[in-house]
Amino acid sequence: MEIVNFISMILSEPAIILGLVAALGLIALHKSFSDILIGTIKTILGFLILTGGSGIIVNALIPFSTMFQEAFQLTGIVAEDNSLVAAVSSFLGSQTAMIMVFAFLINLILARITPYKYVFLTGHMIWSFAGTMAILFDQMGFAGWKLVLLGSIVEGVCMVIFPAISQPIVRKVTGSDEVAFGFWGSSWITLSAWVGKFFGNPDESAEEINVPKGLDFFRDMSIFMSIVMVIIYVVTALFAGPEIGSKLSGNQNYIIYSVIQALTFVAGVLVLLQGVRMFLGEIIPAFKGISEYIVPGAKPALDVPIFYSYSPTAVVLGFISAVIGSLIATFLTRFIAPVVVLPSVIGMFFMGAAAGVFGNILGGRKASLVAGFFLGFTWPLMVAFAYPLLDVTKYGVQGLWFASPDAILVVVIIKCLGKLFGI
Amino acid sequence: MKIITVCGMGLGTSLMMKMNIESVLKKLGKSAQIDNVDLGSIKGVDADLIIASKEMETRLNSLKCPKIFINNLIDQSELEQKLRDFFKN
Repeated sequence: MEIVNFISMILSEPAIILGLVAALGLIALHKSFSDILIGTIKTILGFLILTGGSGIIVNALIPFSTMFQEAFQLTGIVAEDNSLVAAVSSFLGSQTAMIMVFAFLINLILARITPYKYVFLTGHMIWSFAGTMAILFDQMGFAGWKLVLLGSIVEGVCMVIFPAISQPIVRKVTGSDEVAFGFWGSSWITLSAWVGKFFGNPDESAEEINVPKGLDFFRDMSIFMSIVMVIIYVVTALFAGPEIGSKLSGNQNYIIYSVIQALTFVAGVLVLLQGVRMFLGEIIPAFKGISEYIVPGAKPALDVPIFYSYSPTAVVLGFISAVIGSLIATFLTRFIAPVVVLPSVIGMFFMGAAAGVFGNILGGRKASLVAGFFLGFTWPLMVAFAYPLLDVTKYGVQGLWFASPDAILVVVIIKCLGKLFGI
Repeated sequence: MKIITVCGMGLGTSLMMKMNIESVLKKLGKSAQIDNVDLGSIKGVDADLIIASKEMETRLNSLKCPKIFINNLIDQSELEQKLRDFFKN
């Protein structure tokens, strides 16, 4: 009994589970003892850094949620998967880690036995979807091995199906069938491109337009995020007024306090990403190595930026129209939706840019613009209307929710199925 | 020898490039320590070689160390050719 207790205590520490996963992966790849030791420790440290970053983010969001509530009598939501999953890790971190591993194994099995030879390799997305599944099934009343089993099966299946859905259009964009799309926005981006197609002409490519080079600064996510968050925090503070502001800021001027809190949020995200980077840095190469043994010749499903070089102008067109679309929709959510979804820099860049590229291949530059706008417009609405389905405040998280369209779709579908079965 | 890969968030693309570089280096019989970072962290690290996608070029102009820019992130042959050329010099 002592041993079982001890093992279950170890397994309740996500940092240790991930360390073990890295160790097993490195052992399976016949790495040297020192590589295994270094890799394992780096993985554990990475997860602990991530947890630290998450704490900073959650704390920086508390004054913001309070001010937003005061200012607009509504809940304001920042949609960011990595931050959310990290924030619930004290409740669901172990389950997230285990779902991640088993989902990957299920992905490999499915790729081996079905014609869908895709291996999903975008690490931080495997992790954030696993966290999404943990939250979903926890909310539906499952726990323990049942939660991990359900979460792993759903994620494992999605890791194969979603790349398959986008593969026809990916083949058109890349001109080959060697690589697939591993990103939890792929189906919505593909849909946006098809919407764009109706308005466009494939012969009028986006690449025939020249776009000023000065717009490059947005590649530096930390700068862009900082500017947007400061604007959001300060505008909210001004609407909330000096009384509430000063209660939160104490002796400090409440506007200066808001600026610092906004930048603290971004600082927390940077710390978190550094942690994610470290723990994935050993695990994902191990996953990739193992997948090459089990499913040789499988297509890796990779992160969205691989498509940008095929059409750099379409990237800009898609991104700008997505931002415009999302600002209009954010404004609308104030009036028609249960929560207000705040503009997401990262989301609109990565997804809008891809919508632009995919739109361009189907229907030229007009399609790029329409695809980007469609994606940008529908995204805040999707997040806002799906928000009531999963309550993350029970984990002590305020002002954060999911961002990935595909994950949100899956959550909606499963919740509906659950209702059918009375769960 | 230390190689650093860079991308916007330091998560997806740079890690993928890191894995590709590892395969290519194995093929070329070379070894290196490879780390992946985001644009914000790149000035704080010491590198013998920086590898990034072509879109990052203007963001990395101020850095003095040797750089390789890749146009096609999927195509390992471009990466392999550019690394071969780098090691020849």
